[in-house]
Amino acid sequence: MSKDRVSRRQFLNYTLLGVGGFMAAGMVMPMARFAIDPVLKANASGDFVATKVKVADITEEPQRVDFKFDQVDAWYESEETGTAWVYKNENGEIVALSPVCKHLGCTVDWNADEKNQNMFFCPCHYGLYEKDGTNVPGTPPLAPLDVYPYQEKDGILYLGKAQPREGA
Amino acid sequence: MKWTPADIEKFEKSPEYVDTAVVPLFPVSFANGMKETAAMTEFTSLLTSQLERQLQGRILLTPGFSYLKSSRFPVVEQLKDWETDMLDKQFNHVFYVTSDSDWKQHEAMLQGTLLWIPSLPLQHMDEKAKQSVMEDQIRQLMNLFIQKWRDAEAE
Repeated sequence: MSKDRVSRRQFLNYTLLGVGGFMAAGMVMPMARFAIDPVLKANASGDFVATKVKVADITEEPQRVDFKFDQVDAWYESEETGTAWVYKNENGEIVALSPVCKHLGCTVDWNADEKNQNMFFCPCHYGLYEKDGTNVPGTPPLAPLDVYPYQEKDGILYLGKAQPREGA
Repeated sequence: MKWTPADIEKFEKSPEYVDTAVVPLFPVSFANGMKETAAMTEFTSLLTSQLERQLQGRILLTPGFSYLKSSRFPVVEQLKDWETDMLDKQFNHVFYVTSDSDWKQHEAMLQGTLLWIPSLPLQHMDEKAKQSVMEDQIRQLMNLFIQKWRDAEAE
């Protein structure tokens, strides 16, 4: 027997404290986690979505780039496919254009019309856009194609949300 | 454009640009062939909704025309009713998209263009194969529409 014996009262006190502490922690911890959740969630790339294209592979000829992103539509979450026309301009800068026609939303195609080479062409109402996305006056669209902001990370192209531009 | 209030609102603002109605035809059967009709319906609805995404500025995708395959009443008559109404309004072109080959027999009775596309066993494909197959189908289907528009404009 050692000298300082733990009395029954002390023993019960310690046990209660320990168990009570655990219970309190069990209640407070999830609350704290919920409270600081937005802080923990912030991801570095923001709204930028990775594509499968390497920046080095981008040429001066626009190419179709598909990328996937999650879209929440009320209670329905789905994986949507976005498309961009990506190329490098004369200065070597990357240009990523939205394929959505500014007229009524059809999908424009590069170089699809024999009469209008090297232009973006909308098959619905024959809208035309220059290579840089500027709408050709006299055709139905009234604004240039939207532009995706882009980022380069580890040689991979990341695209943000398409931004509208001022009309020509 | 889809059959949603938001799209219809857009449609009503510029009806002169939307001159084509697309009606998917969905067979329904509760006897044998239930699964086949389900596959046809799935395929047709996937195809038409993708098509709508590509050509949404010029086509209006109506709600699917569902019919009982073993119906005692003439289904074609009902569809013709739709057709008359659509052609009376601003639509110049009406397209029917279906995987049900029965419609081939009734094609002559319809003024609109019947596009019969045999359904593919999508349930056995993985996501990637599905996507590329569908994309291919849609591209070919789109060309039919574009050709039809061009022909009508050349006249």
